[in-house]
Amino acid sequence: MTAGLILNATICFAITVSSFAFAWVLASSEDKHNDKSKPALWALVILWSLVALTYLPTTIRMIAAATDHPSLDLIMYNLAAVPFSMVTVPLIFFILYVITGDQKISGYISFLFILFGATYLALLYSNGVIGPTITGYSSMFSINSDIAINIYLVGLFVIPTAMILGMMLLIFLQRMPRHLRYRTALPLVAISFVFDFMLTDMITDIDVMQMASRIFVLIGTVLAFLAYFPPSTLQRTLGIKASQNENYEEEDEEEDENGL
Amino acid sequence: MAFEIDVEMEQKVADFYQSLGINQGPGDIQYRLILLVLNKNEGKVTEFADIREYTDRFADKGSIGSKMKTVFQLEGLVEKVKRGGYTITDKGIIAANFLKDTTDFYKKTKRMGDIIERMP
Repeated sequence: MTAGLILNATICFAITVSSFAFAWVLASSEDKHNDKSKPALWALVILWSLVALTYLPTTIRMIAAATDHPSLDLIMYNLAAVPFSMVTVPLIFFILYVITGDQKISGYISFLFILFGATYLALLYSNGVIGPTITGYSSMFSINSDIAINIYLVGLFVIPTAMILGMMLLIFLQRMPRHLRYRTALPLVAISFVFDFMLTDMITDIDVMQMASRIFVLIGTVLAFLAYFPPSTLQRTLGIKASQNENYEEEDEEEDENGL
Repeated sequence: MAFEIDVEMEQKVADFYQSLGINQGPGDIQYRLILLVLNKNEGKVTEFADIREYTDRFADKGSIGSKMKTVFQLEGLVEKVKRGGYTITDKGIIAANFLKDTTDFYKKTKRMGDIIERMP
């Protein structure tokens, strides 16, 4: 029984470490970005930090479940709900800022999602949760409020997912160099992956589905890392290297044309 | 069809096309402005004074006249109806519509470029 829970805790810990590492690497690459992309960069840093902060208490939760500490499990669930409910905020800011370029409007609209998150938390804490239900693979709680679940689905799930899909459609409809398409579309795919499976993870009451969701969150984090820092072998395979050839300016072009 | 000609915008669009190596037509600010003025006055006679209102910043008197003769008249984009007076032809309207498409393409490309620039 505990082996499955320990595996679950390991996956959660891997998500925590990789998300924190990704946020750290992104933050330390600030110098390489121009002023226009910095607000979006910091939104991403906050987003990945919140993902890590959601899965850190979740790791402890799984260990608590494995070692039979239900009260610690509950405390950690309540703690993980805070960063989880705020994950939407930097995501909305990121998408709106990248599309509109207006920091103020993006800020105001993402503030609305702080209110969504806060309402979700208020309802979650006031109505409480049912559980934990501990199985061989997981420990789960049921949210004891239908309104909280509706806010969660509409405010924290449908709108941001629709925004990501809209932005991806915008990118796919444009003709652009392959490396730019890769650089813009893949981070969105990865964010969408992580975001949607995090929500599935939180709402599901089937242990195997929760475990699978967490594996997909981990895959999404790795995918996001590859989107920003693709290894050169991958760049060569996909043909997405920005410039594959060195500049060659030694000889006169006319000579080449004349076959000299 | 009444519309305003945004000279600053036309200059940016022409610069964009020049940066792509297209120095004539869409990349030529004089060509753009002359054609837009002619299109604005569709059905009416366009005089040099109407064109110079927009082109004075970019060209001298002689070069506009020369362009009218060697490009617009030669290719049948305008008809000379009196001394210094021209009307746009159907072919000229096609060219003007193409010019508007080039402006739309510029705006679309710039918008996408800005989005990519803001992506970290």
